[in-house]
Amino acid sequence: MKILESQNALLSNYEVYQHIIDQRKKSKAQDGRRLPGNAHHIMKEVLAYLRQKPSPLEKQEETQAYSPEVIPRLLEKIREANLPSDLTKGEVLSILNLRPTSVAVLSTAIEDMEERFSEEEQNRVVDIIVEVLGRDDPEHEAEQGEGEEVEDEAMPSVENGY
Amino acid sequence: MFILTKIADLVEIAPDDFRKPSFAAIEDNINAKYANKIVQKVGLCICLWDILWTSEGLIGRGTVEFRMVVFRPFKGEVVIARIHDQTVEGINLATDFFEDIFIPAIELPEGSEFDSSENLWVWKYEGQELYFDNNEMVRFRVMAEEWHDQAPSGPPEASEEEVILADSKPPYRIIGSMNGPGLGCYLWWE
Repeated sequence: MKILESQNALLSNYEVYQHIIDQRKKSKAQDGRRLPGNAHHIMKEVLAYLRQKPSPLEKQEETQAYSPEVIPRLLEKIREANLPSDLTKGEVLSILNLRPTSVAVLSTAIEDMEERFSEEEQNRVVDIIVEVLGRDDPEHEAEQGEGEEVEDEAMPSVENGY
Repeated sequence: MFILTKIADLVEIAPDDFRKPSFAAIEDNINAKYANKIVQKVGLCICLWDILWTSEGLIGRGTVEFRMVVFRPFKGEVVIARIHDQTVEGINLATDFFEDIFIPAIELPEGSEFDSSENLWVWKYEGQELYFDNNEMVRFRVMAEEWHDQAPSGPPEASEEEVILADSKPPYRIIGSMNGPGLGCYLWWE
């Protein structure tokens, strides 16, 4: 074995998800072909992980919210927003993988967010994410939230200075 | 979180596999060798992405250049995982496919305390008690990684106990932090 290039490219979780789905389909379509056990096993586990809340790919099968067109559309919308500082490749990748729908979560994807962007710009980015990548169904959220001991307004957030 | 790694390797197609179309046989061969394996300083191999080049003759023995999907989150990246278990030292996290993620106590939010009766960490924040319950999904930030080559280094002369101790070091371990806005249990930030 010779490693020619340890990091040839970064992949988004969506690309990995779609690749695994495609590989399984391909293998099924070829009669008598089965993926080696170890590959079958880890592909199944990665898929289970990517389909688990709060992964934005949880309901990808139904919603098809992610598609090959989504990345250029997201980049274009962000460009149109005229942000004072460009997002790095890693930051865009984290936005795709985490799909932050709040400013607090957005701050995990963007380095030094508060120094680089005003509150308005941060909210604008969240709006773009929701518009292009969607968000979880609020009805579903309500079901999930039941039995939670802590109330929403008491949640720590960037705004209340945590 | 995932990257592509370009690798060259010698692939041997066993006579049993001759009936398979050559490319399928090569693909299976690569997946059987690499999937779910950790390559030191590269990461956890998931599966083959594509074949870039093969030497003459696809049957028998030949060199293949290919790209693997590899789990290797970058330093500073925020990743989702599940709380596996907890000790006073910190919190162990896992994903469905990777188990060696550790958040040391010092990387928990300020005001976190270990509840030794329940074996849980609790974040005391403005009069609230926010528990790190086992099996909760969390977001954590990658701070560092540790690599331990598992290759046998010589004849087993060590006592059984030492062998077990050496074996317990995972080949690839991620050290993370849950201290910061948006990190910790995802439900806190919904």
